[in-house]
Parts: sequence; C-alpha cells; structure tokens
Amino acid sequence: MFSEILRFEWRYRRGRPATYAYFGILFLFGLITAIYGNSPASEKTFANAPWSIGLMLIIISIFASLIASAVMGVPLYRDIEHQVKDYYFTYPISEKGYLLGRYLGSLMVLLLISLGLPAGLLVGFALGPHLGLSSAEHFGPLILKGYWYHTLAYYWPNLILTGTIFFALVAFTKNVMSTYVASLLLLVGYLAGTTISQDLDNKLLADLLDPFAFNTFLNTTKYWTPVEQNTQVAALTGHLLWNRLIWGGVAISVFAITLWRFDFQRFWAEKLSKREVKTALPLSTDLRRPLPKVQQVFTNAHSWQQLFRLGWLEFTNIVRDRYFLAMICGGVLFLILDSFFGNTIYGTPSLPTTYFMVELKDFDYGLFAFIIIIFFAGEAIHRDRSVKFNGIADALPVPNWVIYGSKFIALSLVAFVLANLVMVSGVLFQTMNGYFDYQFPMYIKDLWFIEFPEYLQLALLTLFVHTMINSKFTGHIVTIGIWLAMFGIRDFAEYDFNMLFYSYVPGYTLSDMNGFGHFWTSLNSFNAYWLSFGAILLIIGFLFWTRGAEDHFRVRRQVARQRFQLLPALGIGLFTILFAGNGAWVYRNTAVLNTYRTSKESKVLRADYEKQYSKYLWIVQPKITDVKVEFDLLPTERKALAKGHFLLVNKSDQQIDSLHLNFGSPEYHREIKRFTLDGKNPVALLEDKRLGYSIYQIPGGMAPGDTMRWEMELDLQFQGFPNSGSGREFVYNGTFSGLGVFPGFGYDPSSELTSDIDRKKYELPEKDYQAPPADDPKGLSRLLFNDDADYITFEATVSTDPDQIAIAPGYLQKEWTQGGRRYFHYVMEGEMDYFFNISSARYAVHRDTWSNPDGTTGNIEIYHHPTHTTNLDRFTNGVKASMEYYSRAFGPYQYRQMRILEFPRYATFAQSFPNTVPYAESFGWVGDFSDPDDTDYAFYVTAHEVAHQWWGHQVTPSATRGANQISESMAEYSALMVLKKTYGVEAMQKFLKYGLDRYLSGRSNESKFEKTLLDNDNQAYVWYSKGSLVLYALQDYVGEDRLNEAFQRFLAATKFRQAPPYATSLEWYRYIQEATPDSLQYFLRDNFEQIALYENRVDDVEVKEIAKGTYEVTLSIDSKKIYYDGNGNILREGKEPNLIEIGLLGPESKNDQGMTRQNPVYLQKHWLKPGRQTLTIIVSEKPLKAGIDPFNKLIDRIPDDNVKGI
Amino acid sequence: MELIIEHLTKTYPNGVQALQDVNLKITAGMYGLLGPNGAGKSTLMRTIATLQEADSGSIQLGNLNVLQQKNEVRKILGYLPQEFGVYPKITAEAMLDHIASLKGVTNRSERKDLVQRLLERVNLGDVRKKQLGTFSGGMKQRFGIAQALIGNPKLIIVDEPTAGLDPAERNRFHNLLSEIGANTIVILSTHIVDDVANLCKNMAIICKGQVIAEGHPAELTAKAQGHIWRKVIDKSTIEQYREQYRVINTTLLEGQTEIHIYQDEAPSEAGFTPAVATLEDVYFSKIAEYMDVVTI
Repeated sequence: MFSEILRFEWRYRRGRPATYAYFGILFLFGLITAIYGNSPASEKTFANAPWSIGLMLIIISIFASLIASAVMGVPLYRDIEHQVKDYYFTYPISEKGYLLGRYLGSLMVLLLISLGLPAGLLVGFALGPHLGLSSAEHFGPLILKGYWYHTLAYYWPNLILTGTIFFALVAFTKNVMSTYVASLLLLVGYLAGTTISQDLDNKLLADLLDPFAFNTFLNTTKYWTPVEQNTQVAALTGHLLWNRLIWGGVAISVFAITLWRFDFQRFWAEKLSKREVKTALPLSTDLRRPLPKVQQVFTNAHSWQQLFRLGWLEFTNIVRDRYFLAMICGGVLFLILDSFFGNTIYGTPSLPTTYFMVELKDFDYGLFAFIIIIFFAGEAIHRDRSVKFNGIADALPVPNWVIYGSKFIALSLVAFVLANLVMVSGVLFQTMNGYFDYQFPMYIKDLWFIEFPEYLQLALLTLFVHTMINSKFTGHIVTIGIWLAMFGIRDFAEYDFNMLFYSYVPGYTLSDMNGFGHFWTSLNSFNAYWLSFGAILLIIGFLFWTRGAEDHFRVRRQVARQRFQLLPALGIGLFTILFAGNGAWVYRNTAVLNTYRTSKESKVLRADYEKQYSKYLWIVQPKITDVKVEFDLLPTERKALAKGHFLLVNKSDQQIDSLHLNFGSPEYHREIKRFTLDGKNPVALLEDKRLGYSIYQIPGGMAPGDTMRWEMELDLQFQGFPNSGSGREFVYNGTFSGLGVFPGFGYDPSSELTSDIDRKKYELPEKDYQAPPADDPKGLSRLLFNDDADYITFEATVSTDPDQIAIAPGYLQKEWTQGGRRYFHYVMEGEMDYFFNISSARYAVHRDTWSNPDGTTGNIEIYHHPTHTTNLDRFTNGVKASMEYYSRAFGPYQYRQMRILEFPRYATFAQSFPNTVPYAESFGWVGDFSDPDDTDYAFYVTAHEVAHQWWGHQVTPSATRGANQISESMAEYSALMVLKKTYGVEAMQKFLKYGLDRYLSGRSNESKFEKTLLDNDNQAYVWYSKGSLVLYALQDYVGEDRLNEAFQRFLAATKFRQAPPYATSLEWYRYIQEATPDSLQYFLRDNFEQIALYENRVDDVEVKEIAKGTYEVTLSIDSKKIYYDGNGNILREGKEPNLIEIGLLGPESKNDQGMTRQNPVYLQKHWLKPGRQTLTIIVSEKPLKAGIDPFNKLIDRIPDDNVKGI
Repeated sequence: MELIIEHLTKTYPNGVQALQDVNLKITAGMYGLLGPNGAGKSTLMRTIATLQEADSGSIQLGNLNVLQQKNEVRKILGYLPQEFGVYPKITAEAMLDHIASLKGVTNRSERKDLVQRLLERVNLGDVRKKQLGTFSGGMKQRFGIAQALIGNPKLIIVDEPTAGLDPAERNRFHNLLSEIGANTIVILSTHIVDDVANLCKNMAIICKGQVIAEGHPAELTAKAQGHIWRKVIDKSTIEQYREQYRVINTTLLEGQTEIHIYQDEAPSEAGFTPAVATLEDVYFSKIAEYMDVVTI
C-alpha cells in the first residue's frame, strides 16, 4: 500500500505545474545570482568559492522553507480540502502506509525541486566569466565539493527539517494556516539566534539554537581568510556537527511522533464546535404568522454609516484572528528582543531613548508588519469568497464603494495599530528600565506621520494587487515579488532614486539634539507623493474590484468602464494632480536643487578625477602657516558664511606659479563670494566644476621663501532635500563643520576608487598602497592628515544664534552679542597641525579641572545636550586619568584645556582636534554603563581621543606607509594602558579579546591583502586592533616603563618637528627595537615586519593532589606559530621556541569597580618549542582552569581553546 | 412589476455558450425554471441577480435596467444561490441581523422583530443562538432561505432551494414561497418537475442555453396530452425501441422497464397504451429534441 501511495504522490506531483514553477524559480535565482557574480564577502573571495556556495545554500534554505511549506503542507491537506476523505478512508490502507507514502513522496519531490538552486548556480558560474556582466576576477575554478557537500550537510537537512515540521503540523492541525505560523516561528528562531550571536559570550547557544546552522556556519568560518574561503568547506565538526545532530534529531523525532500519533479517525473527523450550544427560548410556533413589513432606508448617510460599520467589522475580524495575534506577538517579541540586544556599542547597551525605541520599527518588527499587512489585505479582500458567502453578500444592496472602502478602512486601522504598538512596547520597555524621559511628541510625529503613512502605502498597493490578481496566493506572491524586485534593483543594479521606488523615502536619523531636523520636510513630501499615488491605485482597484461571479479580465474591464463615473474620474484626476504636483516638488528638491548620482555615476566621477588630476599628486604648492577664520552660522537656514584669511609660504626650493584648489563636491551649495591672492583676483587657468578642481595663476608667482595672503569668502547652504544623505554639516541644532568647507591644495588621493575590481572596470591600474614607502622623500616632506600645511597658528571668530554656543579649537578670548547674534573669538596658543572644527549647538556646559604632575591645572569643559547628563563623569574621569598617565609616561600636554562636545548622531564617531573632541550623540552620552562588566567605552574612547593630543597632534605622522600607526596604534595602546591602570591588569582580557576578534574578522574580509604594522597605510583593523594587541603584549613582555620610556624618547625627538623628514613607522620602530632585549627581537620581527598567527591550544589538564595543599598540574598543550602572506596563504611554520604565558586560574572575583577579574594561581612565561608537549607545574592552591596564553595577549587564530576547565 | 429579458446572450471565456438569445417575460407569481445540469439556469439567475455580466441583451425589471442599475436592483432583491457558505463563528440570529442591516433595515427593533419572525418561519427558532458552523446541510439551506426573504423583496431568485430539505421542510418552504409569491416575482430553479407543476404559474425549460419551452405548466401538459404512449418492455430490447420510436423516458416500475414515447398517433405495435401526460413527459420530450436523454 505504501509504495502505491508513494507512486501516486510522485505521479500527481509530476503533473503539477507548481512543481516545475518552484524548480524554475530556484534555478533562475541561482542562475542570475551566479551570472552577476557577487560575492557575499570581500572582493578576494570568489563568487563560486565553496564558502560562498555554502552560505548561499544555507540562506536560500531559510527562504525555501516557503517552498517546503507549499510542498510538504499540502499532501495531507489536499485530501481534506477535496473531500477525498469521504471515500479514501474506506479503502484498505494502513495509517502508516498512507502517511509514509505521502511524506516520502512529497519529500522526494521537495528535494528534487530544491536541486534547481545548485543547478542554476552551476550553470550560472560556468556562463558567468563569458557573459561579462561581472568581472572575470569574481569567478574561481569549479570546485564540485562546494556544491554537493553543502547540499548534503546544510541545504537538504534544512529543507527536510522545515518540510517535516510543516507536514506534521498539517497532520495534527488539519489546517494549512498553521504552516504559516510555523514558518513565522522558524523565522523567530533564526532572527533570535542572529541577534544573540552578536554578543560574543553567547556563541555556543547561538550556534546550537540556529535551526538552519546559518549563524553556526558564519561563526565557524568567521576568521577564514579569502584563500580559505576559496578552497575549503566547513567540515562537520564541533558546533556545526552538534547543530546538525540536534536539528536532524528534531526532524526525525517530529516525524516519528507524527507517524506514531497519526490516526485516520481523528484526522478525518468533522470538526465540531467545542462550544456548548446555548438552548434558545422557543419562539412562537405559529408558522403562519406573516413576515412583518419593514422600512428600508438607502440614504447616503446610511451608506457612510455602513462603510464605517463594515470597516470596523472587518477590522475586528482581522484582529480576532489567532494568526494575526500570533504574528503580532511575534512582532512585539522582536521589539522587546531588539530593545535588549539591538542597542549596543562595544557590547554595552545604550539607554532606551525614545529615538531608539522608535527606530526599532525598522529592525525585525518591520518584517512582521510587512507580512501582516500583505497577508491580511488578502484575507480582507477574499473573506466572503473564502467561505463562499459571496453568492449572498454580493447580491446585497450595499454600494461597491462601501464594501471596497470598508476593506481599506479596516487595513488602515490595522496599519495604525501596528504603528502604535511600537510606542506601546517602547514606553513599556523604557518604564521597565526605569527610564522615564518619554518623548511622546517624537513617538507620535514618527509613528503617526512617518510610519503610519508607510504602512498605509503598503496597504494601498497590496489592496490594489489583491484586487487586480483576484487570487489570494498569487496576490501574496506578486506583492512580495514587487518588493523583492525593488530591493533587487536598488541593491544589485545600484539604482536608488527614491521617487521611482514605491513607498521609498530618504533614510533619516532621529536625534535628541536635532529632533527630526531637516528630514521632516523631506519625509512629508515623499509621503504625500506616495500617498497620492496609492490613492490612485485605490480608485483603480475599486473600478476593477470583483463583485459577483465574474472573474475574467475582459468582463472586469467592461465592469470597470461601467463604474468609471464622475466621482472615480474626479478622484483619479485629483490624485493625479496631487501626485504630479508632489512629484514635481520632490524632483525639484532631489534632482534640481541637489544632484542625484547613481553609484555608477559617482564611480565614473571618481575615476575621471583620478585620470585627469592624479598627475598633480606631488605638485609643489605653498604651505599654510597662519589661519584666521570667521564663520557666521545661520542654523535655522542651514547656512553659513565662511571667511578664511590664510598666510601661505613657499617652503620649497622651486618657484610656484599656480595654486591648485581642490573643491571636491560637498552635499551643500557653495558659492565663492570673494577670492583674492595678495588682494588681487586671481586668473583662472582651469575651472573644472564637474570634478571640483581649479588652477589659478599666482600673481607674480612665488619664489622660494615668498609669502602670500589668500583670502576666501564662501556662502554655504543646504538647499531643499536630497535623495539620500544626512547633510550633517549645517543643521538646526548641532552644526559640525570646519576645515572641509575650504578647498585643499592639489590632488586628493583619498577620493580615489579603492576596490581593484572597480578600478579595473574603469580602466585604472590596480593600487596596492595609497601612501608612498617610508623612505620616499616626497612622502616624508608632507604631513599625513593635511598636506596643505605643516604646523600653523590659528584663530577663529564664530557667530551663531543667540541660544547656541559655538566652538572652535583654541582658547576663548571673548564672547559678545551683536545684532542679535552671539560671537565667540578663539585663539590657539602656539602651533597646531592644520585640523580644525567649527561646532555650534544649544549646549549645556559641565566644567571640571585636572592637575598636572608639575602642579598646574587644566580645564575640562563638556558641551552637551542639556538632558544628556548621565555619563558626564565618565568623560571627565577619562580626561583626568588620561592626562595623568600620558603626561607622566610620554611628556607634558601642550594645552591648558580639554573640551568634549556633542554632535547629533548622523555619524557615530569621536574625533580629536587640538584640545577639542567632538563626540557623536549616540557614542557614550546615552550609554548605559550600569553593569561594570560592560565596556565603559565613554571612558575608553575618551582616553583614545585624548591620547591623540600626543599621538597625532604633538607628533604628526608623515604621509608615508605605516606612519599612521604612530597615531592610531599609539592612541589605542595608550588608552589600553589607562584602562589597565584604572581597572587592573586582571580585567584586561575582555578588551584584548574584542581587539583580537576585530583583527581576525578584519583580515578575513580583506579585499586586497593584509599589510604589516610597518607598511600599513589604510587598514583600520591593523592599526587599531593588531597595533594595540601587539603593543600591549610588548609592554607585558619587556615592561611597561621600559617601553614607555622609548615612546617618550621617540616623542621628544619628533614632536612639532618643524621640517621634513616627518616621523615614519621606521623611526618609531627603531625606538621600540632599542627597548626590546635581543631574546625578544623575534617578537618584533613576527609582529611588525610579518604576519604571524599562533594556534595555541590546551588539549588536556590533569590535577593531582600530591600532598596536602600541594597540587601537581599536568597540561598537554599544542603550540603553533604560522606565517602568512598578505593574502592568507601559509608561508611557513615557526620552528624556534617562543615565550608564551602559562596560567593556572583560580575562581573569578570582582574588582573595586565591580568588574570580573581573573585570579591566577600561577602565571609564568615559558619558552615553548612549537608542537605538542606536556608541562608539569606544582602549585599550592587548587586551580579551576588552566591555559596557554590564557589572557589572549598573543595573536591567536582560535582564541577560545586556550583555556580548559579542570 | 414585470421582468423582461430580451436577447440575453452569454459566452464564457472557455467557449461555453451559457445563454443564447434568451427572451423571457416574467410577471408576479412563481416562475419555474427547469433544465438539465449545465443548461444555463444558474447563469441566467446569477445574471438577473446582478452577479454576472451579459455579453448582449437586456434585462428590465419594472423601470430598472438590471445590467446597469445593479445596486437599485439589489435593494428589492432576495437571492439564494445554489451553493453558498456561511461564516462559521457567528450565530444565525446575528448574521441575519447583520444582513438585514445591510439591506437597509436600520430600525433596530424592526430588524429584531423581522429576524425573529424569519427564524420562526424557516423553523430555526430554537437554534438561533447556535453558530452557523454547527448547522447541518438542511439547516444551512433554511438559513439561506431566510436571508433571501429579508427586506421586502420584489424579486426573489432561489436556485434549487429545496435541495437537502426533508419532505416536511420542503412543504413548509413551498407554502412560504407561494404566500410571498402572490405579488412578488419569484424565480425558482429546480430539478424536481413536480415542484414546478404544483407551485408555478409560469415556467420555462432551458437547455443548452436556450429557452426551449415556456408557458403555464398545465397548458404545456395539456398540449402533450394524447401524444404520450407507454409500454412495459423487456430491458434487452430497449435499443430497438429507441431506433423505432421517440423514446422520451424510461423508468423502472416494480422491477420492470417501462418506456414512454412521444407520437401523435397511437403506435401500431401491440402493448402500447396511452399515458396521461405529465409535466415530466413534457420536460423529457422537449429536451430530447436537444440532447440524448438516456435514463437507463
């Protein structure tokens, strides 16, 4: 019997078009993805690398659960739906045979369908290199194992899992709807895993709980270099193996339970209402009583009343639906989950500010809202039809517009509820966290006037699609398809002109400082534009809406013509005018007042810029020696008048005849009001507006040593609103501008295309380095951060609105009010590098002081948003601790003040200007540092930025390879030292592990090749993470004081160096070498000159109590040191012994600040030869854990296996 | 009020000609539609009930153009489709109340009274608080009848209303219909020829989308009187009779096969006796002209 049922299933499916459609969709998807050859990782990873294929198969297996539900959900349901049950049951078949046959037959079909994807990929990758839609570099050699291995290990098991669950659900619930809920729950599991796995400590849990092994796969292969991604498959060991076993086990048990519990009687029993039937009072039994005559009212008012009554009825039908409730619960669950996990920086949560609670709507919740609206729009449109009540309902005397309109009203109510749930959950979460600064105006403005219209637009389109398509399932598919298509065009074709993508609006950022700021008009304009379009769709949908039995399109067109009377015509006319009017307005703002460029156009521009002007890279220009600027800020108009008075000196030994001004293309409009050289209007030799590059004749030229006055007056203003971009320089509250408004001299290589694939596409040579080698005389003669000047003298006068405070580097000389404006005059004492900011906002000021070792004091000033007061002491403590450490360890601070100022969260960073550090609003000001074990990055980053006053502003690196390590690696090292001093050495492991994680992830995403510390010019993961780890280990190995003395000598030799050659990594390295004993020179060679990674591991630990209170600990360890080239290829293994720490750890405890600290029972460095070995250590206290390099001081590829519990 | 159907034609997109030049004039009272499965009865009724479009032709109800003024028609329409579903989670009483409100009965107490009375009349009084999902086929059908009678319909269209009703319910329904049918147009389609004979003032037989006979049932029967002959035959010889005569019907009578033939004069063959023509004979003789009726 079983085999016959299986055969039937197979025959039935073979004849179904859906079978081929699913296969075709997967095949096409694979084919197109492959032909376009986009790699999910760095450029060096092939699109068809085994790793990429594995990732793709896993991701698609998640989405293919939709197909799994369609294929595995129906075989049983089919028998109920078509009422085959009424006679099938009477045949002599066994329950097991029936179930097994249906299950295996469908599963077979599902697995065959699923092969569409690998088949499409195979064909696509074979065609890809020849079609030229993507560079041939994206395609590697064919590695078949990548396909079959990942199919067998991940793709199929995932489909079997979801398919089995769907099958079982229908077997038990007799309802296909339950599979929808199941897909949702799976999605929940998946998203939850992804969210949790962002937190490093929960890796094991996230790895095992992920039903698709997506996170497990990513975590396992996280540190793979491009070379490994291109050649290896993720073997089923460790977490991956456990994950597969767990979820395979789940699939098997689900099916086993289904098989065991399945029962024909129950499955095919009629469902009877469980509710007790109320016995009604008997009515009159006189059957001859005539029907009463009733009054019928068909007025317009009655119709309107019915519109709202039916709308409300439909709305209650939707919200009472248990699937609606399930999805809503899912959405709210995610709002809460994301509230907990989604709001962290360096693993530290931020306070639940209202702007964050509002932004949560675009996290996972958005997906739920999207699904709910699409799904229930379909339900609403098809409600009468799905219970076959339409035969009666459609003949009732209710006008079309009332019925159709009631569906719209119901969906609007659903959309409104969805928008407001964000507020409800937000306020709840804030209250739960004891955060009572609810900003209801912000909630309401965003959720009612931005989010609600967006949901409404979705509802309008969905209603339209469902009305036109007139089939529930196809309607869903088409709506989702429209969104996927828009998403695809924006993401893959890189075309994102919002006006052409239904319901898209420019991205925006909320801010406590600047509220909705300049985004408000933009968002409202776009929403008005899309709502008018949606209204047109609504009316067209009304014309075509099906009432009665006709569903052929020809007839519906005929009906539409009938319905196209005065009011619909007027409506379409009106909304077309509104749509066109709003469209014109939006177009004027985004494309006329502002320039829209596609990603490709921007790249072409950058390529042209390089082709035309890179020849001027090393052109000799005068240097600025004195800068006086005047900025008049008009915050409410997002406008500024900037005047610059510059003194230029020809420091070269050549005559300079022309000044090359690089204007670039800022987001705001810039008009030159005045431009003189030595008081004369210069003659333009070239004015290239498109590429922003101009050349002017210097009147009379500049002989070596000559000086010249350069005056420039600029009108700067943001006009209208753009298609995208934050426009953050000039805003209503929180202006952050500066140096960048004035043109620089000569060619700027930082705007070159960096991707080698892009460069090749636009006919530029591959470029390995931005900066010249450390011995290049031209590079040595320029400073890294700004080559228009060496050191300068500086003063600034800034005026702003009377309620704002304006800040620039320097000491405040005078503050006054004139003409209703507030003026500030700042003068810098001594010299500084040419790097300044101009900031202005409605600030509150917090003041404090620090004491220097010589007894003098300095002023700490914190300019902050009035309500952001929680963490002020962390900033001041950071400044104090830094000043104390750095001035003792490296040399005195050059200023008497340190100012920290807040700017709106349109960017998330902090930047160190001379005695001035602007700090993004979201970066520290609203951090929640109540758990001492969370990284206090407000303190940490402050220490880093203060360190730049030494490393960057005192010694300013030359424009050569490796030189930026002097600034960034040193600032990061300095900050770690301040942390160590403040928190104690035992609490440092967490910081080191974060650094190690960032370094290892960084190198696995490298798109060129990894550079060494000595010649790295632009890899942040090398200069921050590797740099700080190596320097931290070095001070641990050679001694903190000894290393700091070397840095002190280096600083003394290089600070404020008046003439080239400016500082290089080699000069810095020489001081480090001097401080390092011969025995440890290998450490410097390994880490500064080469790329060497350890693979240290504890295999086994045994403890014997050999006497009372004396323990013998035997460690079996393995130590390896592997040298790599920049691409991640293994060069060789180290053979010489290395000095590596061995530690035996007692129980953890808390330090004074409440942070977790490690308590070593034993901690010694041993010279260990590479390879497996055992060590025996005798201690007097029983350790709990033992490890090799237990605190992750060395760069280790697998940091987690260094310590083992006993 | 009169319902005048002229040249009504409808072809489905799949090529099926559901209605071909249908012309009917229907006045107040019960009007029966007879016809084999797929003849076009339901299409005709749905079209009159504003649920379907016609390719050409017109339907005039009083001074209303049914094909254009759909909503005006719906105000005076009661319609019971052949197949319909109900919302399972709502009680009969609440659903009828809702429909009454949609039919313009805005006065709450009037509505309540009406619903109660309707439930009485269709004998659903004691289950009025039950959810419709728990109703049996017959109860559901009675609910359908009740909803069609809400308001003061001037035109009632009931498509096979008695399917699934037991004989007592069927009778009760017929009484109800004829009571209303006195001054209302009631169009009734059925397969039960006797129902039409007993109830309807006028009737039409529809086959393959065409009206093949129209008139008063008694008149139609009278016309056939004297043309119907019957004979009890041996089952194996039926094919010979078919070739020889216009056999319009074959029935089993106490295990024996009896044929009815249509012929103006008495057949010469022995054994034929004149039969009293029934509407069933008329029906079979009419549709036999259009299709092959084989009942054995």
